[in-house]
Amino acid sequence: MRIAITRTGGFAGIERQAELDTTGRPDADHLKALAHQALSGCPSGPTRGVPDGFHYEITVDGRTAHCSDPHLTEHQRELIQSVLREGA
Amino acid sequence: MTQCHIPRMEATTNPVFCTIVPPHVLDKLARGEDPTRADRAARTIEHDALQRTRRRITTVRGAAAPTGTPSDKPQRTIYDAKNQETLPGRKVHSENDKPSKDASVNRAHAGLGATFDLYLKAYGRRSIDDHGLPLNATVHYGEKYENAFWDGSRMVFGDGDGDLFLDFTIPVDVIGHELTHGVTQHTANLEYWGQSGALNESLSDVFGSLIKQHALGHSADQADWLIGAGLLGPDVQGEALRSMKAPGTAYDDDKLGKDPQPATMDDYVKTSRDNGGVHINSGIPNHAFYLLATALGGNAWEKAGKIWYATLTGGELSTEAQFADFARLTAASARTLFGEGDETQAVLKAWSQVGVPTS
Repeated sequence: MRIAITRTGGFAGIERQAELDTTGRPDADHLKALAHQALSGCPSGPTRGVPDGFHYEITVDGRTAHCSDPHLTEHQRELIQSVLREGA
Repeated sequence: MTQCHIPRMEATTNPVFCTIVPPHVLDKLARGEDPTRADRAARTIEHDALQRTRRRITTVRGAAAPTGTPSDKPQRTIYDAKNQETLPGRKVHSENDKPSKDASVNRAHAGLGATFDLYLKAYGRRSIDDHGLPLNATVHYGEKYENAFWDGSRMVFGDGDGDLFLDFTIPVDVIGHELTHGVTQHTANLEYWGQSGALNESLSDVFGSLIKQHALGHSADQADWLIGAGLLGPDVQGEALRSMKAPGTAYDDDKLGKDPQPATMDDYVKTSRDNGGVHINSGIPNHAFYLLATALGGNAWEKAGKIWYATLTGGELSTEAQFADFARLTAASARTLFGEGDETQAVLKAWSQVGVPTS
């Protein structure tokens, strides 16, 4: 499973992107479950954020969700941190 | 509440190979000689542009009701998120407490005070809602969190990663910037998208800088006119995040890229990123304010600041105002405050210099 995160906005207005492939990773099952949970249950409708807040675009195998600080679920937060920290 | 949505199935993902890729770096890659990189970068740009058009954020209106009697004293409370992303965090400092052992807490407390001071002393405004709203801030939000934001009712500060960005409570203008988002929310409530969003950002930069100038006692010609000085790590090539004096020159670094701000309408950036470039095109009204303040001389918060404040709070500025609407209203504010004299002429000239019409 390929998981890509694009982070935009923020006080600095500087974009950051990272992608991670779960293939062959010891935590592949955990990441896949996390990605599924991060994307599920998001209500439809436009994404709203706050001034200077980060926006995140999470793409998992071609399916994309949008979310914004500070309104993230725990699953979204953990997934975003993992991919931005360990992705390339 | 989670605020996100999943659009219909998207096109395939675009692989990206850099950890930090500012938009202008992607543009550079897309025009480069390496065909693989150029193609990937170009697809990323197209993909991002598509995504951005689906997304806009708006300001939050009236999140906190006015409480208490308007006072000449701030009522500040600082919370500590203890490196979690849970708000508000634990209350660690109240208005009359002794200084904390935590420098971030003390900086936030002082920055909130400096902001309260400028608005009260220069403009007679009692806190961000003019009704004495208590000022709340949360420090140590998240782990190595590289941002500060206004959540509709409080200011939130991350510690930075310690490499590119240091603690976001360091520059007092960043604190003033975030609180001014609160003032804007309670007044013109400019929509955080496109030109109205860039005006929202610019007003936060203008008053953020004025709060710093007022605290330091700097006149217009003594001020550094920088936003975020002291925030960048020691190895970053740059002096700040934005320059009102010379937009586009604040940083030029291998990892961060180059400051993308234009100074005039000739270089206006059309983009769907960053909510339509709210942190990019804010360079144009920022520079107009700098030109006005330095033309008038003296303390920038006095004449130039009064004109901008009257425009922001006067009730005429619409939530979807464009640069030209704002420019026209600043000229009207100048006439009301100072008549048809040097001040009004300086306002017209400043906007003319950045290419924004006032009639």
